[in-house]
Amino acid sequence: MVTLHLDDDVIRSLSDNELNILKYVYTHAEDIVHISIHEMAKQVSYSTATILRFCKKLGYSGFSEFKYALAAAIRRSPAPPAPAKPANLDTQMILEQICSHIESTSHLILDKQLEQVFHIFDDNCRIYLYSPGGITATLIDYFEKMLFSIGRQNVYKIESVRMGEHILRNFPEASAWILISTTGSFPHTARLARLARMNNVPVISITPYTNNTIADLADINFRFFTRQREYQDAEFTSRLPVFYVISTIFQCYLEYRRSAPWLTPVEENK
Amino acid sequence: MMIPLLEKARLLSLTETEQEILDYLEKNITIVTYIGLSDLSAKLYTSNATIVRFCQKLGLKGYHEFKFQIRSELEQLSNPTLTAGRLLPLSAARFRDNAEAMDTEKLNQIAELLTSGRPVYIYGSSLSSIPAKYLQIVLTTLDYPSILIEWQRLLNGLIYGISGGSVLLAITAHGDAPRYLPVFKKAREQGILTILLTCDEDSPLIPYSTVSLCTNDENREYRHVDVNPRIGILTIIQILIDLAAQKRNREKAD
Repeated sequence: MVTLHLDDDVIRSLSDNELNILKYVYTHAEDIVHISIHEMAKQVSYSTATILRFCKKLGYSGFSEFKYALAAAIRRSPAPPAPAKPANLDTQMILEQICSHIESTSHLILDKQLEQVFHIFDDNCRIYLYSPGGITATLIDYFEKMLFSIGRQNVYKIESVRMGEHILRNFPEASAWILISTTGSFPHTARLARLARMNNVPVISITPYTNNTIADLADINFRFFTRQREYQDAEFTSRLPVFYVISTIFQCYLEYRRSAPWLTPVEENK
Repeated sequence: MMIPLLEKARLLSLTETEQEILDYLEKNITIVTYIGLSDLSAKLYTSNATIVRFCQKLGLKGYHEFKFQIRSELEQLSNPTLTAGRLLPLSAARFRDNAEAMDTEKLNQIAELLTSGRPVYIYGSSLSSIPAKYLQIVLTTLDYPSILIEWQRLLNGLIYGISGGSVLLAITAHGDAPRYLPVFKKAREQGILTILLTCDEDSPLIPYSTVSLCTNDENREYRHVDVNPRIGILTIIQILIDLAAQKRNREKAD
């Protein structure tokens, strides 16, 4: 897999079409370095002008320079493992898709974002998590339990949006909010994000890679790749990439604690 | 290049074949980061079991752990400062390792059990309640009802009333699995089908379960508190969900 170091600002500037191109690049990096811009345009069904604009937004002069950077990134990363034997094709395809979503998601996590999050973890401010119910509530539970596990105090889970609004209006000082949305536009969550911004309360959000309201309002936004799915009006979009983002945040935090134990006021137990 | 793990291997008493494996690895260590067990044994004209035994001599559980260890030691050599940037590709690599080591036949067997119309009980407590709950909610969404149990004592009591032929899926990451032994023994007595998801290859529950799957999650503690993020288990859950969804779609199409 390749890594293109993309700033969140760059990702914010990309249109939905350009984000689709980015997703395609991450999943087909090896093929792209060998093709022309016209072939690429055919493969992604966007015009060459869109692709060119995409390359420029990423900071390259054109498609060729982009390909060159991509090839360099491929050389830096280890060769992909040989595909497993197709014992069960359906299951293999599921596995492949899961891995590709996770790997693409992993590339969107930046050191800078993690540092900002760790800063909030280490600070003694109150951390509020908004649990909107449904499957996303499980993600919030996971985040909350992991915060408890690392010994973070002052963690509060809020299950009612009106309670959230009340807290944000009346006690905005020395607090931070964690908001997760699989669509990036769930009205209740978006309302809290807006209120937090109005009151200068920092927000850590986890939202999909597409342009969305909550990401635009958040101070630190982690993005993930997934495919929206529904079954007879009930959605069951995969939450695994979000679980992965959360687990990565905590793994990195524990690593950071281990590597710099002098930063923690409490003595570490061996 | 000085790889600490191979240095350690040099000090062990090795058989002739193992010595050959070590010689080869010292010259070609980078390929280990991406080559599979079968491909490596083919290159060395030896069996998978020999390589696994070699890894076990080094105090590791198997080839995947060896691969992971080499990967992290190589990373450390090329980049001695510990940053998150080092960890990201590593955790993605671990994720893929876990996914590729997955037994697809067992996964299908489990998915089949969960969607067979038998009564389904899903158990997980503390951090394991997260994957348990996730599975239960999504199965409900797909119209495969199931019952979620998050308290161990409730499970202990409930097991007596669960009828034979029901399915119990239990998630326990830990090594302290012995506390579930009575439940698993009772389940077997009553003809309950048990599915075990764990991160402990030597879990004493494995011989008592109908199907068991093990992931490469590390049982880690931070200040004596469990911080195993269980991402491997969550991956299994996601695959089971996708398999169940596929079945639903097929049924709808028929």
